[in-house]
Amino acid sequence: MKLVIIDYGMGNMKSISSAFKYLGVDEIVTSDKYKDIKSADKLLLPGVGSFVNAMNKIKDLALDEILGEVVLEDKKPILGICLGMQLLCNSSEEDGGAQGLGYVDAECRKFSKENLKVPHVGFNQVNSNPNTKLYDGLNEENDFYFTHSYKLQSNYNINQSICHYGEDFIASYEIDNMVGTQFHPELSQTNGLQLLKNFIDKFLDA
Amino acid sequence: MLRKRIIFTLIYEDGKFNQSRNFRLQKVGDINWLERNYRFKDIAFSLDELIVLNASKEEKKIEEFANILERLVDDVFIPVASGGGVGSVDDAKLLFNSGADKLVLNSLLYTNPDVVRQIVKQYGSQSVVASIDYKTIGGNSLVFINNGMQKIDIALDQYIEHVQNLGVGELYLNSIEKDGTGFGYDFDTFDKVANTIKIPLIIAGGAGNEKHLISGLENDNINAVATANLFNFIGSGLPRARKLIIEKGINIAEWK
Repeated sequence: MKLVIIDYGMGNMKSISSAFKYLGVDEIVTSDKYKDIKSADKLLLPGVGSFVNAMNKIKDLALDEILGEVVLEDKKPILGICLGMQLLCNSSEEDGGAQGLGYVDAECRKFSKENLKVPHVGFNQVNSNPNTKLYDGLNEENDFYFTHSYKLQSNYNINQSICHYGEDFIASYEIDNMVGTQFHPELSQTNGLQLLKNFIDKFLDA
Repeated sequence: MLRKRIIFTLIYEDGKFNQSRNFRLQKVGDINWLERNYRFKDIAFSLDELIVLNASKEEKKIEEFANILERLVDDVFIPVASGGGVGSVDDAKLLFNSGADKLVLNSLLYTNPDVVRQIVKQYGSQSVVASIDYKTIGGNSLVFINNGMQKIDIALDQYIEHVQNLGVGELYLNSIEKDGTGFGYDFDTFDKVANTIKIPLIIAGGAGNEKHLISGLENDNINAVATANLFNFIGSGLPRARKLIIEKGINIAEWK
């Protein structure tokens, strides 16, 4: 299986590739090139930092066009982690607002409850949505590691799993070949490794 | 519910890991020693997070430290924060590329706030932990930089506001006097500055046993407890402490 970690210059790729290596994925490529991404079985969109910067870099590298083809047309399974999960959605209000890739009907907002410490950092419990494959083999409630200031919300059914910090927010979504986690499975001990294993095993290679 | 966190801080100096006592470092062993004696990868399963600090005094030799970091965090699937001697965005980038998920900044918060702002802008608030070392003398908490060697003329509460204004995501407060003593944390000071703190608080300095960790985990103002006490906690000490803490029903994460 060939996993391509999409490199647009933002995010700690080492933890992610080391987790997939540990799980026995034989070919892990970090790249921003069309031919690598086009030939991938599965894709990973990482990311930390600013939404606006990330979208600018994605456009500069024409990754928006490449992803449109391989994710929407070829239906390659893609996992977005943290900022990567947010980028697949409609928009974010970070830094005055920006449009995302728009594949998933959800928006990003800042945690705004009074007296709430932001960023939201640490392990928190996620209620796994029973209509998903991501949490196979895990409990109904599982601890995953979060570190973020903006969170996702949606009025649509995107098979969201919910977490609570001051308010409910979307910890993960799963629509056909597109999955995203606000938390970092690669930093979530055995719970996270199980989830990554599900992404490898339960989503058909394109 | 958001869980409280238990963090281990590994202190590295010129090729060796250290036991720290009141900031006087006692060399314990190199990375081979650490792997041989403590099966570090197993211990990581008892931790919510790992902090690896470079306390090399002469020249910080950040490349050498980055290599050690890279080796240490291989197959460790928890968040790793790292720092010590970071002076530029390039230094930050080197540590991030070597396996750090977050960066720990200390002296730079005082000496070059602009670089701190640049790092925050590039990597996001949630990627930057502000580490503050302090001593309480005659009821006043004084801030020290440069491995605890240089006093600065800003009171602790004002300094906390200063670093929060730089956009950092977390605060790591370390009592120099309690450091390595095993006598327990400095709750008097933490409670005094609690109202100033708007971001997650990690406390450090003084933990000697699991009771100390528990008193930190049960304090509403505190989000995470850290210890650098190799002798008391590494080996079977940490897995045992975590098991006990979970059995007591304290709010920390569990994994299968």
